Amino acid sequence: MWLAIILSLLGVFFGWVLGMKIPITLPEEYTLYLGLAVLAALDSIFGGIRAWIEGIFDNKIFLTGFFSNILLAAGLTYLGEQLGIALSIAAVVAFGVRLFHNLAFIRRHILEKLWPS
Amino acid sequence: MKIKAYHLVILLVSVILGVMAAMQFKSSSEIIDANIERTEKMAEKVEAKKKEIEELKIKVDEMNLQLQEAAESPEMYALNQQLITYGILAGTVEVKGPGVKVLLSDSEEPLKPGQDPSFYVLHDVDILKVLNELKAAGAEAIAINDERVIATTDIRCGGPVIIVNKNKRLAAPFVIKAIGHPDTLYNSLMMKGGVVEQLKFWNIRVSVQKADEVIIPSYPRSIKLEARLGGSISG
Repeated sequence: MWLAIILSLLGVFFGWVLGMKIPITLPEEYTLYLGLAVLAALDSIFGGIRAWIEGIFDNKIFLTGFFSNILLAAGLTYLGEQLGIALSIAAVVAFGVRLFHNLAFIRRHILEKLWPS
Repeated sequence: MKIKAYHLVILLVSVILGVMAAMQFKSSSEIIDANIERTEKMAEKVEAKKKEIEELKIKVDEMNLQLQEAAESPEMYALNQQLITYGILAGTVEVKGPGVKVLLSDSEEPLKPGQDPSFYVLHDVDILKVLNELKAAGAEAIAINDERVIATTDIRCGGPVIIVNKNKRLAAPFVIKAIGHPDTLYNSLMMKGGVVEQLKFWNIRVSVQKADEVIIPSYPRSIKLEARLGGSISG
C-alpha cells in the first residue's frame, strides 16, 4: 500500500522533471489535446484509487482504462474540431464529474476509516 | 516488500501523467508569456512611434518657423527680386508695364516706273534698327508681333517675311511692343535723324504710341542649352 503511494508520487515527480527537461514545447494548437489527456489520466488514477478501496482493482483494467481514456479524450477533441463543435467540453464535463464523484467516494471512505460511525 | 506488477503499472502511469502535466504546464505558460511579451513589445513600439511623431511635429513646427523667418529675411527678398529680374531678362515670364507700341507697315505709295519695290517695303534690317533703338533707350522687354525677343533672338530676311526666333515667320504689319519709360522710348524713336525719320523717308508708315500698360508674353518654348560648347558657369 505505502509502496504504491511512494512509487506514484516518485513517478509523478520524475515525470514532471523529465517533462520540464525535454527541450520540446508543444505547438499552441495541441495544448487542448494534452490538457484533456491530463484530465483523462487524472480521472483514470482516481478511478483506480477507488477501485483499490473497493477491492476490485485490476491491473489490466486500470492500464487499458488509462490509455483508452486519454485516446478517447484526444479523439473526441479532434472530432469536435473537425465538426466545428467544442466536443472537448463533453470530455471535460464527463471526466470532471467522474473525478468529483470518485473523490467524494474516497473522502467518505477515509472519513469512515478515521472516525467509524 | 515485494514489487508486484501493479507497482510497475502505477509507476508507469504516474510518470506518464507527470510528463504530460509538465509539458502542458510548460507550453501553456509559454504561450501566455509569448502573448504578453508580444503585447508589451507592440505597446513599446507604439509608444516609441508616438514619441517619434511628437518629436517630428515639433521639428515641423520649428522648420515652419525657420521657413517663415527665412522668407521674411532680407536675403530671401533680395533673391526673389533677383529671380524676377532674371526671369524678365530671360523672357521666361510674362511682363506687364508701361511702354510703347510701334506699328510698322509697308509703304502704300504707288511705284514709279523703274523703281525697285523693295525700297518701299519693310526689311529685317528696319526691324533690327527699331529694336536696337528701343534697347538703347532702356526697353526691358520687347516682343515683335507677340513673339518675345530674348537673348538668342535672331531677325533675318525670309523673302516676303522676316524670320524671328529661328523659325517664326512674321509678316507686315509689325507691332513691336516694348516695356520701358514710355517717354524715353518714344523720344528715342522719334528724334531728328532717328529711325522713324529714316523709315518715313521710304514712305513706310510708322506710328509710335505710348501706353500705360503693355503686355508682353513669355517666350513660349522651353529654352534648352545642349551644346554649351565646352563653356561652364563661372563665378
